[in-house]
Amino acid sequence: MNIALQAHQLPAPSPRRLLRAYAEEIRCEALRMLRNPGLAVPVLLMPVALYALIALVVAGEAPAEDPTVGVFLFAAFSVMATSMPGLFGIGASLAMEREMGLLRLKRAQPAPAGAWLVAKIACGLGFGVLAYVPVLVVALLAGRLDLDASRIVALSLVLVASAIPFCAMGLMIGTLFRGSAAPGYANLVYLPGCYLSGMFFPLPGSLHWQVPVWPQFHVIQLAMHAAGVGTFQFEPLAMAIASAIGFTMLFSAVAIWRLARKG
Amino acid sequence: MSHHDHQRLHALDAVRGFALLLGVAFHAALSFMPGWPPGLWAMQDNSPSAFLGGAAFVSHAFRMTLFFFIAGYFARLLHGRLGTAGFWKNRALRIGVPLVAGWVVLFPLISAVWLAGLTKVFGGALPEMPGMPKVAGAFPLTHLWFLYQLLQFYALALLLAGLVARLDRGQALRGLADRAVASVLRLPVVAVVVLALPVACALLPLPNWFYWTGIPTPDQTLIPQVAPLVGYGTAFATGWLVHRSAGALPALARHWLPNLLAGALAAAWMLASMRTTPMAPDGVPAEPLVLFDGAVLTKSGFALMHGIAAWGLALGLTGAALRWLDGYSPVRRYVADASYWIYLAHLPVVAALQVWVGHWPLHWSLKYPFVLVASLAVLFASYHWLVRPTLIGQLLNGRRVRRGKGDSPRPEPPSPAPHPTRSSATRDGASPVASLQGITRSFGGVVALDRVELQLRHGELLALLGPNGAGKTTAISLWLGLLEPDAGRVELLGGPPQETARRQGLGAMMQDVELPRELTPRELVRLASSYYADPLDLDECLRRAGATAFADRAYGKLSGGQKRLAQFAVAICGQPRVLFLDEPSVGLDVQAREALWASIRGLLATGCSIVLTTHYLEEAEALADRVAVIAKGRLVASGSVDEMRALVARRQVSCETRLDEAEVAAWPGVQEVRRERNRLHLTAIDAERVVRRLLDQDPALSRLEVREAGLNEAFNTLTKEAA
Repeated sequence: MNIALQAHQLPAPSPRRLLRAYAEEIRCEALRMLRNPGLAVPVLLMPVALYALIALVVAGEAPAEDPTVGVFLFAAFSVMATSMPGLFGIGASLAMEREMGLLRLKRAQPAPAGAWLVAKIACGLGFGVLAYVPVLVVALLAGRLDLDASRIVALSLVLVASAIPFCAMGLMIGTLFRGSAAPGYANLVYLPGCYLSGMFFPLPGSLHWQVPVWPQFHVIQLAMHAAGVGTFQFEPLAMAIASAIGFTMLFSAVAIWRLARKG
Repeated sequence: MSHHDHQRLHALDAVRGFALLLGVAFHAALSFMPGWPPGLWAMQDNSPSAFLGGAAFVSHAFRMTLFFFIAGYFARLLHGRLGTAGFWKNRALRIGVPLVAGWVVLFPLISAVWLAGLTKVFGGALPEMPGMPKVAGAFPLTHLWFLYQLLQFYALALLLAGLVARLDRGQALRGLADRAVASVLRLPVVAVVVLALPVACALLPLPNWFYWTGIPTPDQTLIPQVAPLVGYGTAFATGWLVHRSAGALPALARHWLPNLLAGALAAAWMLASMRTTPMAPDGVPAEPLVLFDGAVLTKSGFALMHGIAAWGLALGLTGAALRWLDGYSPVRRYVADASYWIYLAHLPVVAALQVWVGHWPLHWSLKYPFVLVASLAVLFASYHWLVRPTLIGQLLNGRRVRRGKGDSPRPEPPSPAPHPTRSSATRDGASPVASLQGITRSFGGVVALDRVELQLRHGELLALLGPNGAGKTTAISLWLGLLEPDAGRVELLGGPPQETARRQGLGAMMQDVELPRELTPRELVRLASSYYADPLDLDECLRRAGATAFADRAYGKLSGGQKRLAQFAVAICGQPRVLFLDEPSVGLDVQAREALWASIRGLLATGCSIVLTTHYLEEAEALADRVAVIAKGRLVASGSVDEMRALVARRQVSCETRLDEAEVAAWPGVQEVRRERNRLHLTAIDAERVVRRLLDQDPALSRLEVREAGLNEAFNTLTKEAA
């Protein structure tokens, strides 16, 4: 038998089957996230619970007096909702998969290139939407989102898209650290950013110099531009967009570099 | 450890947990304090409670003394067990990391809740807040100060212990201390008074001592403070010495009631003396306090009473626990384990709830239980779901408890696939479907494969044999395209293995690969099938792999053998032309292994070519057409199974003889000769003939032994020769 012929005889999967492989990969990734209560519960419930507690109960009447404060708080907790699934879901699961040798197995299988990556990002975004909708519903029901319908749509799109830099951040963490250590490192990168970017409470002037270091700051700025809340716009729109894309590219580059070197 | 049995440790563990949970109850009461100026706590409830005020005062009087006492005891225990380096490593992880990480996470949350609470208390108009004291080292440690204080005590204790060990080489000093501790504790109440003295001495010199606070909390500064160092240091040192002393714990258990009563009396006295106002008024703490019946309590008296209350209650409660809680109880153990996390995380939760309920028009007797129960519910739930099974639980409690751990059933033997005889049609092609040509590959200077030539022909099973680390897995990784060779050429299905098209014809079951725990074998096979152009039917694939019985159980809950079968199903689902099986039968019982072999034979019958690595010669014998033995990265032997059998058929002959080594070596059937003093050892293929000739040629031959060279022996000989 001719060796060269053998490869040609291998059937290539049809486009339909290729599509099915992507869909199957996404489905499995989603099932894994849903069946992992340690991840799904905090990621899906914590943002809306915190929003309800802090923005509605603890902050009391302050947002009612100044509607822009209400919008800002809403955006802050929504960024938390949309960014956590991407960061923690991707970071933790990728780190675990590398430790389990699953990526090595995938490279030996005829999986479409990057199908696992597409699945992870799709699930990160999808779960971000799942976590965001309850926050939106609570805010609308409580009347804390004093905006036109078109503004709400634009704001929602920005908030959902703001998960992308954090998906990249998750990828980076998943490739840099191993297994069970990854969620810890994700927290270490993510939590200080939440506080030091001025996302949850106003920062004293002495800390303003360092806010551009945190991706949280830029996505909140994007949200403020989308919502048209001038009082909380601290950087121009173009700058915010460029920064969000820049962070995404930086994190992805580190992840790709690590994957190429370590697998 | 001989005299401190584990029962005792359970009791002390429970006491520590109690002290920490009491702290939660204490903080939960602080928004209900009567007479406190607004702004002292995050919230001032509209329904203050004198009862809660008294209870909070009493619990605060002893809870940290109790905690540091137990901490001292466990510190010495741990130091003895781990040594100094191990002790510091352990403490850095269990105390240092929670201090730093906890602060980073908690401080902003606490600040946010405080800000919200104070805004509510002052109706939106915040007064000028007292800033941090403008002194060096000022730092808001919050309730995590106790961790920082612990680290100080550890350092001091080890320093002192090292010093004492150097000065007191004959153990005389330490023997004396042990006897002193035991004899003081043997007398009821005396120990309480003796220990109260240093506490009183630490409190007296304080210029602005608020009676209510007892030992002042060092939560505002990183500079070690004298009063808490002495006050709580006494507790830590006492715990340390109690661990040293043989009779100390039984004595505490015996006198629990008098000690407790002494503490309760002192606490009651203080409560009565503070009836008019819960705080010593500003500016007059040095003056005698006027009691309700005209009697007076001086500052020194109050300080001493404080010490007696703290130590009476601490020692009394410890004794009571030793007396009644000395057995193992899963519930107590759980609560004790949870208490550390709960105390670390409780403050923002408790305070947020206090802020929330602060203005509700309800009585404190409804609101306080609500705050306490709700925060404990949240904290226990967070412990159970987010801490206990995760890295945080491992960090805080030294171990991680697996979620939903249960015993997984034994693997059922797989249902065997049809086993037709191998037809000549599938075996005619002798051309290789995969080959390694002159492959060398090393890892960090260690050669894993050294100029290896291997070929896999169409429809055959090639067994790669070799000890651990021989290079088998490296060979497979090269074929799968996961590694690049340093030299040589790898071919798979007519091309380099990295090309995606080749992988359509490839199936692999790798060693040390774990599939996602959350998915079932059915889902895993379905996913893998979706990659192939022409996969097997899902149920058929599961059946062939013998995975049907557990196809819908989560992979993480399967036994080791079941996991291997699930991986086998994933490997064969694409109807591969070349299948790589890296140690497929590890962890399988005999039945499951036989059935797996039957499935493999079925695949061979359909024309699939298989490379299989194994430790077991029987496996190679049962399945392989050809066998290749690798040792230390070199191909040691390769050939048909029959040829390998010939190697295996060798026997060991040894005897005492004068015959010459070289002469015997030249005989037909003799493969190897070795002399050990007057004893000759030979390896022979036709042992009977060789033995006959030996006896013929040397009538004086004695102590003849003939042994079968077992499978493993033959294998070992081969691999040793390579070494």
